Amino acid sequence: MTAAPGGNCQRLETPRAGGASAGAGPAVPGARNLYETLVTAHVDGLYSTARRLTRNSASAEDLVQETMLKAWRSFHTFQPGTNVRAWLYRILMNTYFDAQRKHSREPETVSADDVGEFYLYGRARDSAALSESGNPEYLVLDQVMDAEMRAGLEALPVPFLAAVLLVDVDGFAYKEAADVLGIPVGTVMSRLYRGRHALRRRLVEYVRRRRLVREEAASRTRRPEVRRKSAGDGRA
Amino acid sequence: MNCRECVDHMWQYIDGELDLASSDELRQHLAQCRECFSQAELERRLKERMRRVCGGEHAPARLRERLAKILQLY
Repeated sequence: MTAAPGGNCQRLETPRAGGASAGAGPAVPGARNLYETLVTAHVDGLYSTARRLTRNSASAEDLVQETMLKAWRSFHTFQPGTNVRAWLYRILMNTYFDAQRKHSREPETVSADDVGEFYLYGRARDSAALSESGNPEYLVLDQVMDAEMRAGLEALPVPFLAAVLLVDVDGFAYKEAADVLGIPVGTVMSRLYRGRHALRRRLVEYVRRRRLVREEAASRTRRPEVRRKSAGDGRA
Repeated sequence: MNCRECVDHMWQYIDGELDLASSDELRQHLAQCRECFSQAELERRLKERMRRVCGGEHAPARLRERLAKILQLY
């Protein structure tokens, strides 16, 4: 089987921190109007993605502000007809990764636990234990809370988070995501799949943990009743 | 197509990244296999929910104001 051709966005050249982005905006007549028309429409989407990447609203606002400023300063290099959304997301991702590199010498490592085969897939899906426990896939989907889903996504290692965000949340085609991240399509697919597996494992854990807490709470409230009953029996 | 091949290519199918012939083949398998069909439905729902829950936030008004002011400066 082969992957279908992805989106038709062109190879995108974007400014990086401290690079050609310094200086004032483009001195081209009408550039401001064109920028506002083309770019401002994507502010919500950029903010939403920045929010997941940075995990807090203040950092997300700063990231979007820097992205928009870089986009404005390099707007004169923008080719009409280019995929403006992918161009903006590439600036956003580059800006985010540059900031990450500045703040941390260590590249983010990926735990083996995060990339293991999701147990619902492959050989395990035929196991007796799985069939005895009903259909855990639906258990995950129906019992995971929205906040858990956001937390699970944000907890992914950044390379996986970026791939899952771009494809699952922002709706980019594999080829577009590859252009945004500046990596081959095969690498996007690998990161996307490993990120999805890791996320599903986390969602299952959230549901299990919450169920455990609920059961413990229920058993704590049951125990005093038993004691009261025993005490009553003793008096009678 | 068997179940293993179907699972292996399910995400590409749901993401709209499979070529037409392979998509048809996978679709035929889903029409015949209840287990794979359920799994594909789950993945579709999960992806739809991810987009709804993890995306779609609006930029705060103060950010838009900041951006407008910055644009005026340059």
